[in-house]
Amino acid sequence: ELPDGGARPNAAQFKQLVVSALRELHGEVGAALPVDVLTYEEKTLSAILRVISSGLVKLWSALTLLGFYQNRRCAFRVLQTSPFLLALSGNSRELVLD
Amino acid sequence: MVRFKNRYVLCELLSDDPRCRHCIEDRAVGLAVRDAIGRVHGDYGLACCSISFTVKYLNAYTGTVLLRCRKDSYRLLCSALPFVRFLESRAQRYPCALNTLHVGGTIRTCQKFLIQYNRRQLVMLLQNCTNEEERQCIQKSLLSCSLTEEQSQSGDEEDDDGTE
Repeated sequence: ELPDGGARPNAAQFKQLVVSALRELHGEVGAALPVDVLTYEEKTLSAILRVISSGLVKLWSALTLLGFYQNRRCAFRVLQTSPFLLALSGNSRELVLD
Repeated sequence: MVRFKNRYVLCELLSDDPRCRHCIEDRAVGLAVRDAIGRVHGDYGLACCSISFTVKYLNAYTGTVLLRCRKDSYRLLCSALPFVRFLESRAQRYPCALNTLHVGGTIRTCQKFLIQYNRRQLVMLLQNCTNEEERQCIQKSLLSCSLTEEQSQSGDEEDDDGTE
């Protein structure tokens, strides 16, 4: 979330932001964690990230503690995590089976 | 369950610069190690390892350093030691390297290891030294350290005559 402000980051800048958050909290080891940005929407500023399961704690903690993007306040909200990509597409509790 | 367990990491400080030996001090080494941990493991690693981090023992003549840290974070510390590239003291930077010799749970086990290690180093120095006087010196210290346990302390200090 970026409260108003100016330019929105594009996909590469978004990835750079994630990696720099990891580098701040977990050092070079964290920055070397293989993180992939699978999709990124500039309009809603939402993305799907992929990370190895042992790195979830590091990634989530780094994203939570990231406060600034180019000297503007920002916040990351994690909406859903799941080991399967398909599960992120819909809410399985509202699934209606015919 | 009740007590805090520590790990003591015994390392050897290697450097090409002979001036480095004279300005090794525990604060400089501690700062260099902390800085390396901060670079490699970030804020989280730095805070984790700094809970009970001190330089317990430092021998400037032989370059032996004994560091203490918590048992939960000794792996972070050990993995960051190769990233210590220079010591900074009095606005001078000296390139150096830290070799890990032994990780123990108590100072006593580290000391036992250090005594055996120094004995083996003296034997190797005897084989490698070229000068006749050095040979005599080392032979004398070897003889003195193999007699009784207490004499081995004097054997440790003769080490620096052979190393540069």
